[in-house]
Amino acid sequence: MSTLLEDTSLGLGYEHGITDARIRLGWYAAIAGLLLVGAYAMYLRVTGGMATTNMNSVTPWGAWVAFYIYFVGLSAGAFLVSTLSNVFGMAGMHEIDRDALLAAIIAMVVALLFVWTDLGRMDRLFNVFLHRQLTSPLSWEVHAYVAYILVLSVELYFAMRADLVRVARRATGIRARLASVLTFGHRSLSDAALDADRRWLKRFGIVGIPLAIFFVHGGTGVLFAVSKARPYWNSGLFPIIFVISAVVSGTALVMAVYVLRRRFFDDRPVDPNLLDRLAQLLVAFILTDVAFTAIDALIALTTLERLHVGTWLLVSTGEMSWSFWGVMVALGWVLPAALASRRAWRRTPWLMVVAGISVVIGIVGVRFNIVVPPLILPVLEGLPHGNYVPTLVEWGTSAGIIGLGLLLYTLGAELLPLTPLDTDGDHA
Amino acid sequence: MSTESARPGVPEAGTGRVEEMLDDDRIDPQEELERSPFSTDLGTAMAEDARRVSAGELSSESFWARYDEAAAEEFGVAYAETPNPAIDAEDGSQTIADGAAEQLQCSVDSMDSVAASLDAAAADEAVQWGMVIDLQKCVGCDSCTVACKAENRTPPGVSYNVVLEEEHGEFPDVTRTNLPRPCMQCENPSCVQVCPVSATYTMNNGVVNIDYDRCIGCRYCMIACPYGARYFDFGENYDQEVMGAGEVQSPEYGVTKDARAEGESPIGNVRKCSFCYHRLGRDEEPACVETCIGDARNFGDLSDPESEVAQMAESTRSFQLKEHTGNDPNVYYLR
Repeated sequence: MSTLLEDTSLGLGYEHGITDARIRLGWYAAIAGLLLVGAYAMYLRVTGGMATTNMNSVTPWGAWVAFYIYFVGLSAGAFLVSTLSNVFGMAGMHEIDRDALLAAIIAMVVALLFVWTDLGRMDRLFNVFLHRQLTSPLSWEVHAYVAYILVLSVELYFAMRADLVRVARRATGIRARLASVLTFGHRSLSDAALDADRRWLKRFGIVGIPLAIFFVHGGTGVLFAVSKARPYWNSGLFPIIFVISAVVSGTALVMAVYVLRRRFFDDRPVDPNLLDRLAQLLVAFILTDVAFTAIDALIALTTLERLHVGTWLLVSTGEMSWSFWGVMVALGWVLPAALASRRAWRRTPWLMVVAGISVVIGIVGVRFNIVVPPLILPVLEGLPHGNYVPTLVEWGTSAGIIGLGLLLYTLGAELLPLTPLDTDGDHA
Repeated sequence: MSTESARPGVPEAGTGRVEEMLDDDRIDPQEELERSPFSTDLGTAMAEDARRVSAGELSSESFWARYDEAAAEEFGVAYAETPNPAIDAEDGSQTIADGAAEQLQCSVDSMDSVAASLDAAAADEAVQWGMVIDLQKCVGCDSCTVACKAENRTPPGVSYNVVLEEEHGEFPDVTRTNLPRPCMQCENPSCVQVCPVSATYTMNNGVVNIDYDRCIGCRYCMIACPYGARYFDFGENYDQEVMGAGEVQSPEYGVTKDARAEGESPIGNVRKCSFCYHRLGRDEEPACVETCIGDARNFGDLSDPESEVAQMAESTRSFQLKEHTGNDPNVYYLR
């Protein structure tokens, strides 16, 4: 394997991109399809206003908010995985930290697009920066999101700068030109410069960790938890579960992306030790998530309070309980934990892709089951019950926004040196 | 869609015919002025320029510079005794008698300072509007809900007031509670706490306001409200039910609005009961209070211990909804 790595550093590695032309075409065609559907749905949403959704005054938040917190979670989770390498120096994780950072940045951008689409007055987006409210978690959050995107972009720059310089020098065409621009003129490859890169990467990573845990994702949990009108969210445990499920989805995403990019972009074998380590982390996070969710549910049931108990019963036995048992429990927890339960399976790349994608889909169920159920039972007895299923416009816009995220990631992966060129082990 | 004949009780008249009818009924200003003993030309000229003043094309100073003398000559004593705060006492052009100003509780000063002093006076009073609803008197007729819709011209899906009906017990021992639910105008409103752009806030008089020109429509306040009192305006209209349904909008929170138009606030905003703020300003009770057939609703100043509502709110029968939330509503119920 070492000869293979040396080969790539001699030139092959600079032409990163999807290796198989047919797969490449198919992938871009699929993304184009999503974007077309999304563009039409977005046209309907902008011209028709919020009446194109199935939300109403009983259920004022729906699919867009669920996807918003889903992508915030994916982002925070992927970022935290990246810090395993560039802050905590966990062996072997260097391979994936740029992937994780790029995915985290793009997931956050996607999350913001969802929350923008959700505004009743999309034209007043910038009011959140013109007028503030210190007691509003949402007011704090939008600022944290912007800071987070900036910190992560700076981190990605320091993580990638040396390889950008190498690509700018040795590759040709658009990759070299883009790499040249993205170095921002800092072209030194001296040991001192590389050391400085690592130092700054670590510093920004250290700033990023509390930003991701307490502000970006913990804060998004707080956004829900402060709502005393909705007992299902109104618990101190809620933001913690939020962060843990974020880490679950982030680890799964990074694991799946690592294997897929190795297979379709670099055409290089997967490192089974790294895969094993990621899969073990994933199982540990899943078990923690299950435990805390169970604690939360038990506390809720012992309150014997109408809304609190009622919402949990609705989740587990109501009309949409299939999404709890089938998507959240089965795809999010049981299947991936089972697949990662044996050492040999953890070292089988395609099985881990299945496990990763299963979690990534399962956590969508988690997010829908966070947002919608507490908005079904009325806050006062006698007010109407909600009954929410997203409209085609809501699904279509969601598909389009996700398609845009996939496009941005694919372009990034094709054009940027996400796989380290100096793969002689970690930067330790 | 249903044909016109399918609407019982609505005379068949197209829009053109209605406009014709309006034209027939309209008073001709020229004729009307000629009937009065005063100058028609002066009246017409003043009316036309007054329109310019309200349109902002002409300052009130120049208006009065133009007409003060002529008006004093034409209308004589009646003019001198009518309070006119626009006329500045300092430059000696004041034509209103001090006595008249005092009698009408009107200061003799420029418009701006009069307006400022009125605001200050209102703030000094420090009213705290509150409502007390006697559940023993409520018969569940829903006329408050209807009066509210008519007064505030709320669109489909938006109802500032609803009456919740609860049945207790089993036949034959059954009772029913009717619980009218306006906005509680909380002392510690959850909605205000969470609004990311401070578009909703508590006014000095205790009413929770919504600034439709600032609200971004994120609906966080609807999530936070423990009383379900907030509604999102999805832009629906009663076009099928009422002719010209959106032509006039209620001046909620004292803000005059144009006709309801697609993509214009309050469409895309969150809305709620304002205690009919626009009626309070002209010493009228909220529409629901005025219309209540059983006199179940009472309205007044909670900060005045002598007031009827303050005494009712202190009674042993009094309670607030969801007292454990700490929101401290300014709407009280009598059990």
